[in-house]
Amino acid sequence: MILSPEILTIYILNFLFFVFGLIALNLSVKIYLKYDKNSSEPIQYTLERQSYLASTIIKYIFIVKVPLFLFFIFTLDKLSNVLSGAMCGAGVLDATDYGTMLITLKVLNIYLFALWLVLNTEDVKHENQPYIKIKFALFIVLFALFLSEILIESYTFYNFEIDKLVSCCGTLYSSTSDSIVSNIFAIDNKILVSIFYANFALITFAYVFKSKYMYAISNLLFIVVSIVSLIMFFGTYIYELPSHHCPFCYLQSDYYYIGYLLYALLFMGTFNGIMALFKDDLF
Amino acid sequence: MIEFKNINKSYKLGKNNTVAALKDININIKEGSVVVLKGSSGSGKSSILSLVSAISKPTSGEVIVDNKQISKLSDRFASEYRLNNIGIVFQKYNLVEDISVEQNVILPLIPKNLDSDLVESKVDTALDMFGIKHYKNSTVKNLSGGEQQRVAIARAYINEPKIIIADEPTANLDEKLSLDFIEIIKDLKKQNKTVIIATHDPLFFNLDIVDKYIEMKNGSII
Repeated sequence: MILSPEILTIYILNFLFFVFGLIALNLSVKIYLKYDKNSSEPIQYTLERQSYLASTIIKYIFIVKVPLFLFFIFTLDKLSNVLSGAMCGAGVLDATDYGTMLITLKVLNIYLFALWLVLNTEDVKHENQPYIKIKFALFIVLFALFLSEILIESYTFYNFEIDKLVSCCGTLYSSTSDSIVSNIFAIDNKILVSIFYANFALITFAYVFKSKYMYAISNLLFIVVSIVSLIMFFGTYIYELPSHHCPFCYLQSDYYYIGYLLYALLFMGTFNGIMALFKDDLF
Repeated sequence: MIEFKNINKSYKLGKNNTVAALKDININIKEGSVVVLKGSSGSGKSSILSLVSAISKPTSGEVIVDNKQISKLSDRFASEYRLNNIGIVFQKYNLVEDISVEQNVILPLIPKNLDSDLVESKVDTALDMFGIKHYKNSTVKNLSGGEQQRVAIARAYINEPKIIIADEPTANLDEKLSLDFIEIIKDLKKQNKTVIIATHDPLFFNLDIVDKYIEMKNGSII
């Protein structure tokens, strides 16, 4: 177990998120079960007031969660100095059984929180608040995922062992690795780059021809295609090393933290694309 | 048309202390009518005004204005409703004392982002109507109570709302200025504005222009 100031900060924030999230969950369940826009009973007026409180809590959790995700990545990088064998966040994530699941869950939760925010914005734009039940139902699901994230994160931090040798990113992201990641090395770079640009062209095509569903699906696909392309092709140019395929190293100061910009643009762009499904005025 | 259906309104004053400000209120107010809410302090007059203007929501029941249930509006739509339909004259006028009459009167137009010429003409019309055009550039704090009240009325009127609400409008005025205010109400009635006045000033109790008196006591209509 390691208790660095960064991990302690994450624990404290997670505890606060949990407490406030629990309040929002309690209100969300009540709103989901009892909210009736046509009712003029006291319970309905109370729920309408409470919906503002719940929405505000969820919004603020999201606002803090986005920079906290970047802080989490920063913490992983910092921990790589402590764990034997780790060169960057990749090694730290591999140090426990649930590292990859944790980061996947974190990204998924940020997408879902942002989706909640979009639903909320669309909901309050309309006088009859058409998404009110959907958005609070989404939060109930989101809270379960969020709680899982907190538990897995605590488990991960708790199980770090300083004296245990972990793999470095050079081992993890290579064709000889025994992880799932090694499968992507079977793809030819020319085909991969062709898929990347074809996907990008598809997004542009869907945008120009205002095809909402194609736009959303092609953006969803672009997340996977882009990350694989970054690992396999584009990343090697950043490292100026054809054999280095780590998706974490370019988050370090040696590469001017360029990874943060790349990932932020990728996540923001694709999220905006996927949200075409829920927005009327995207095009 | 303003309709109150089975309205109850209670305020929480601490953990176990709830005060019922309105109890099962049913009211119908026709468009273009002048209504006076009578009653002593704490009888529920101001609560009715705050419900009509969508400043607060009832604990139960419905407030319907022009077939729209305004008690169910979210904050954003309640503000929009207030901006377009309601003009409020407060007991203490609630003017910004350090700025000019014109700047005070313009305030409700700011969210509408209108053309400056249109704003200018609206301001001139409103100030002219209430006889304070010559004070256009004067600072509000230099005006007398009666003049300040006219500024407050001009501000309430500038958006040309359908409903004008006045909460104890003559509480700070002498009899002559109160009679002047009644003359203004007559003008507003001629323009088919619905005027709702909450007052315990006896000057209002026998007026021809008043279409309806609603007397209140302890949150109920008597």
